Amino acid sequence: MQIYIVEAVLLIFLILITCAVIFCKDILSAAIIYSGFSFCAVLLYLMMGSPDVAFTEAVIGTISTIFFVASLRKIDRWCK
Amino acid sequence: MMKEPFGGLILNVAFRMLVPFTIVYGVYVLCLGEFSPGGGFQAGALLAVGVLLARLILGFDTKFNVLGKTSVVMAGLGTFLYAFTGWLTIFGGADYFLNYDYMPIVLEPKHEMHAMGIFLIEIGVAICVMMTIINLLDAIVKRGEDDGSVE
Repeated sequence: MQIYIVEAVLLIFLILITCAVIFCKDILSAAIIYSGFSFCAVLLYLMMGSPDVAFTEAVIGTISTIFFVASLRKIDRWCK
Repeated sequence: MMKEPFGGLILNVAFRMLVPFTIVYGVYVLCLGEFSPGGGFQAGALLAVGVLLARLILGFDTKFNVLGKTSVVMAGLGTFLYAFTGWLTIFGGADYFLNYDYMPIVLEPKHEMHAMGIFLIEIGVAICVMMTIINLLDAIVKRGEDDGSVE
């Protein structure tokens, strides 16, 4: 029973993080918050019993955050 | 990656502690992918993280780097290794691509030949993924610097 509570909390975190990324005006902050989305997704995949997908998600989450921050050098940090 | 590195004392020390373990773990994931989670794609991504962190923290002049067109050439070599394993089985008389029963090196239990063939194509996938990720970062960073279209 407790495992469903943890899973529900993680799903609520996912929704909250997605809303925060959508409404964030600072793109650098949005990129950093999006790595939190990746972390919650890793925990959810582990609970659903697929460590392979969770491992891939962890590695690709790190690399995609690096890519987002690197591409920020070319565009404006604040969105109007 | 960057013209000037943005690593301080803490980041440099963390880099020296983290990256050797990351690379050893990448090789571990590549070699034991049949018993544990992981495989060629994850191993290539882990190996690429080492080079990406070196570029971010130590700057572009670091010794631990992949420069210029080397990444494209090595990505092609990884794909070639995958295809070459398939061609080996085809030339050995297999009826379809990657039929490991017809590998040219004969090992006595048949599943040993399967393990060797799968390991060869996993090495190819790992090299291709690692070099493609490094090449993507090259493309992102260098866009607008050569022709000056942005700045």
